[in-house]
Amino acid sequence: MAEQQAILSNDASPVRVRTSPHRIADRYPVGAILLCLVLACAAGAATLSNMSVQLPPALWPAAITNPDIEDMRQVLVHYAFLPRLAVSLLCGAALGLAGTVLQQVLRNPLASPETVGVSAGAYLALALATLLAPSLLAFGREWVALAGAFTALSAVLALSWHKGLSPLSVVLAGLVVSLYAGAIGAALVVLRHEWLASLFIWGAGSLGQQDWSTTLWLLPRLGGAALLIGLMVRPLTLLGLDDEGARSLGVPLGAYRFAGLAAAVALIAFVVAAVGVIGFVGLAAATLARIGGARRLGQQLLTAPLIGAALLWAADQAVQVATGPQGDLLPTGAMTALLGAPLLLWLLPRLALGAEAPALTVEHLPRSARPGLVLAAIAGLLLLLFGLALLYAPGPDGWAFPSGDQLQPLLSWRLPRVFAALAAGAMLALAGLMMQRLTGNPMASPEVLGISAGAALGMMVALFALNDAGRPVQTVAATIGAFAALLVTLAIGRRAAYAPERLLLAGVALTALFDALILVLTATGDPRAMLLLNWLTGSTHGVDAGSALLTGTIAFALFLAAPLFMRWLDMLPLGAVAVQNLGINLGAARLLVLLMVAALTAASTLVVGPLTFIGLMAPHLARRLGLSRALPQAIGAVLAGALIMVCADWIGRTAIFPRQIPAGLVATLIGGPVLMWLLRRR
Amino acid sequence: MNTDQSLSGEANRPRGLITRRGALALFILPLAGMVTPPAKARPLRIVCLDDGLAETLLTLGVTPVAVADRGVWEKWVVEPALPPEVADIGTILEPNLEFLQQLRPDVILSIPYLDGIKPLLERVAPVTTIGIYTPDGQPYQRAIEATRQLAALVGRESEGVALIAATEACFSDVRQQLAPLSARPVYVVNFLDPRNVRVYGEKSLFQAVFDRIGIRNAWTGETNYWGFATVGIDGLATSDDARLAYLEPLPEGATGTLTESPVWNAMPFVRNRSIMRLPAVLMFGMLPSASRFARLLTAALMAENARG
Repeated sequence: MAEQQAILSNDASPVRVRTSPHRIADRYPVGAILLCLVLACAAGAATLSNMSVQLPPALWPAAITNPDIEDMRQVLVHYAFLPRLAVSLLCGAALGLAGTVLQQVLRNPLASPETVGVSAGAYLALALATLLAPSLLAFGREWVALAGAFTALSAVLALSWHKGLSPLSVVLAGLVVSLYAGAIGAALVVLRHEWLASLFIWGAGSLGQQDWSTTLWLLPRLGGAALLIGLMVRPLTLLGLDDEGARSLGVPLGAYRFAGLAAAVALIAFVVAAVGVIGFVGLAAATLARIGGARRLGQQLLTAPLIGAALLWAADQAVQVATGPQGDLLPTGAMTALLGAPLLLWLLPRLALGAEAPALTVEHLPRSARPGLVLAAIAGLLLLLFGLALLYAPGPDGWAFPSGDQLQPLLSWRLPRVFAALAAGAMLALAGLMMQRLTGNPMASPEVLGISAGAALGMMVALFALNDAGRPVQTVAATIGAFAALLVTLAIGRRAAYAPERLLLAGVALTALFDALILVLTATGDPRAMLLLNWLTGSTHGVDAGSALLTGTIAFALFLAAPLFMRWLDMLPLGAVAVQNLGINLGAARLLVLLMVAALTAASTLVVGPLTFIGLMAPHLARRLGLSRALPQAIGAVLAGALIMVCADWIGRTAIFPRQIPAGLVATLIGGPVLMWLLRRR
Repeated sequence: MNTDQSLSGEANRPRGLITRRGALALFILPLAGMVTPPAKARPLRIVCLDDGLAETLLTLGVTPVAVADRGVWEKWVVEPALPPEVADIGTILEPNLEFLQQLRPDVILSIPYLDGIKPLLERVAPVTTIGIYTPDGQPYQRAIEATRQLAALVGRESEGVALIAATEACFSDVRQQLAPLSARPVYVVNFLDPRNVRVYGEKSLFQAVFDRIGIRNAWTGETNYWGFATVGIDGLATSDDARLAYLEPLPEGATGTLTESPVWNAMPFVRNRSIMRLPAVLMFGMLPSASRFARLLTAALMAENARG
């Protein structure tokens, strides 16, 4: 222990300090401390103002030390206001600490509880346990949350492993896992259809308290995890070096990496189990600590929790100023996420992420000698399933092939749905293939670009701002939203010649912003939020012949244009330098590919909702089958995407007849595990 | 909490609480249809997408062919019982259209909330949209008009008139019984979790019942047009002498934790032991729900009063 103390007091990076020994600003994180003070002052002032609304200052001492149980105002201050204050400080500090450790261990300036999917995993585990197996919660919420958090983290690490856990791939995998968890959560709510969905309030990060039990529950757990991290400052510092350097110093990297991750994930799981998902405080605190001058890990581990605590304290008091003491209706966690997404957008140009090595070219997957045969096989399978999906389904008398005069009315329902599912799956697959070849990142998919989120935002505005928005109005609004999101993404990417990293991260930020908005809206309990959730799960239920035909026409037109892109798509994965040497205008090529992706995504999103894993999965499936050049892979992906979507729609219509599971959700549920298998370590 | 007395025998108690005339009218109504089939050759095949409309149909003596989300009925509507032959056509927002068509309905009853899928429903059968919960916030008036409309639709005008009369009679009976207890206002809530409730106020069906049975609603704040506001339970501390009536079903895990909370225990109605647990009543219902609520609330208030 004494030795440990001595090490802790040592400067872990002496070089940097020696260069300017006399300047205080270089030795201490002055900026971060100042920021902390400013935030604390603002939060303190808001706190005093909020408290004086509830209780005259003369009664404060009594209310704090020994409240008069007959006086409701004193009870509320002692058992509601003060514990809420304490919980906001504790959770903010825990998230700041967890964010810093995650960033250090993963060597990733974008890592945070939300961006690596840990919060979403913990939340989903708790939601599943609450709805399906409440008895599990009796063992302790923290164990359920921990299990979910670790599952999510394992999935994220597995998905980004072959990219060497690069910052971008980890964040993308985190987003994919978060979306996956969110889809399952939405499905639970939609399929159960109950008028009371309390999950929303808690899930959106409500800090409301009614006694000190949450505070007392959090204290030892957070304290234990923080202590563990405190004991590991030196090994964690070394983890920030490159592997060879650290290994030469005799550090067992793997063990410390795991211990650090475990401590951070535990912190996050405890916070989620106590108050739900608090968006972006971890990312903001860790980043602001570094920007504020905390260079050494020791300093960061001290300042980030302080900033996190001050941030969440200020945010929570601001929410209470806005809503009165009943802040639950504007969940603080969702509000911080709303503020955090713009912060992420602002940060993007300021982070040195390093360019990604092109990945698709170095994969050593088998190449099929006869791609034509493979394609014909998929096409045959597609035809078979298309027929089955149209003809074979349960009715009032069980599974049957309809005959005679039954056929016509049944087909009038099934044909548009199956056809729309087919077209949407095919378009999403092509969009995914283009995204993955453009960015050289196997985790890139159309929904990551933020276009789907934009479409959903448009839909949300139509539902809530306009009275009685019918389907045509919703479609127009969603289209406008999709293109607005595309414009934002392009504006952010323009300065970097549409560099893939910037585009993907802008998409991540937009998606996060949208998720936060959804949470705020659903927490109000407005029945219209159910309509939105229903659409979000990606159902083909509402497709009629007209919209199916329209979708098919758009798909056909876009597929006609697709061959023009194939040469670029063969070249782009070779890297920027190679492409420019071949005489291709890189910026123009990227822009055109992006516009094509946007058109494909928008057209399919309108039919099957914003969330499917087809775009992510189908190109990998095609590649696994040995289709490596752009054109055969594209055809294979399109066929596979159509196949999966038709299959998903069929399963969704028949599995729990007469109820239905939205096709987008079925595709997601199938797609998650399949994707893990496709991207398994090679 | 010793509020569980109100649970036992809730089906029997209300009968004694209102006059014989009102009670008889209410209880005989569903039977009336079964005894004398209407003159029509074939009864209308009705698919009903809203539980409020469905409970009215059942009370008029007409059994719909299918309803949406029928699994919800036993938990949230309870009364009148849904006959086992009524089919389930899936979720309210996405009823199974193929199945719907195979049921060959003559008419589909819908609400404005489902206007998004109306074009699809119209391909199966004519759709009658009846709005009870609308921005003008007059659910009771609209429920009466809708009852007449439904009664005319199924050719049971006299049963419709009787239902309206029975509901009004129920209210005036209850009003007399509750007159001695009307001084203290009542909150009506659903628990969302141990910390938050939906409290029903203006624009709710329950408010209309309160107005007619002479009880003051303790919640005077704003509500959305479905008639509720979502608040933390500390928001219910504004009235010192209010009673609290909370409706079943309770969310998983809410019961145990409630009694441990000091804020809960400091609430005026907890200290006065003025808490009543009511069996489920459809909060977005029509006349049958309104009189069910009046009867259950009366029973609970009388029991609470008897306790002292």
